[in-house]
Amino acid sequence: MKNRLKVLRAERDWSQADLADKLEVSRQSVNAIETGKYDPSLPLAFKIAAIFGLPIEQIFSADESAQAAE
Amino acid sequence: MEREKTSLAAKRYSRDMLIAGALYAGVVIGGALTLNQEPPQWAVVVIALLPMLPALLMLRAYLVFLKGMDEFQRQIQSEAVAIAAGVTGFGSFSYGFLEEWAGFPHLPLIWVLPTLIFSWGVALCIVRLRYK
Repeated sequence: MKNRLKVLRAERDWSQADLADKLEVSRQSVNAIETGKYDPSLPLAFKIAAIFGLPIEQIFSADESAQAAE
Repeated sequence: MEREKTSLAAKRYSRDMLIAGALYAGVVIGGALTLNQEPPQWAVVVIALLPMLPALLMLRAYLVFLKGMDEFQRQIQSEAVAIAAGVTGFGSFSYGFLEEWAGFPHLPLIWVLPTLIFSWGVALCIVRLRYK
C-alpha cells in the first residue's frame, strides 16, 4: 500500500515523533508506515485519517502492481 | 507523551526482569547448596522445579511489556518469536535424530529454553533491521 503520510505530516510541520504521540504509537511505527514497510490495521488507519481530517482513501492507496492484478 | 509511556513500560520491564533474575539466581544457588545436604527425593524434585517460578515471572514481565506495545512493535515481536520457535524446534528435533541415529553426543534438555531465548534475541535484531 502507498500513502501520503510524509507529505501530509510535512504540510502540518509535524515530526514523526509528533505524529506518533498523536496516534499513541512509537516513532518507529510511524516511520515503518511512511516508508511502506508496514501497513497499519484498519483501526489505526481510521485514527490517522481522523487526525489529518481526511478520508482514508486520500491518505492510503493500493500499489499500482496490486491494482493491476485486480 | 507516547515516548514517556514507552519508556515507563521499558523501565517496568527492566525492573521486573531484574527482580526475576535476582530471584532466579537466589533459587539456583540456594537449590544447589540444599542438594549438597542430600535431602529426600521428593524435596529434590521440588527444588529442581523451583527455578521455574522466577522463570515464569520473566515470562509474565515479557507478556505485560508485549501488551503495552503498539501493533507494529507487536508484529516485530511475533515474527521474532515465530523464527526463534522454528529455529529451536527444528534445531532440537534435528539434533534428536542425530543423537538417535548418528551417535552424536547427548545434550541435556535444559538447553532448549536458553536456545529459544538466544535465537529470539538474534531474530529480533534481524527483523528490526528488515523494517528499518
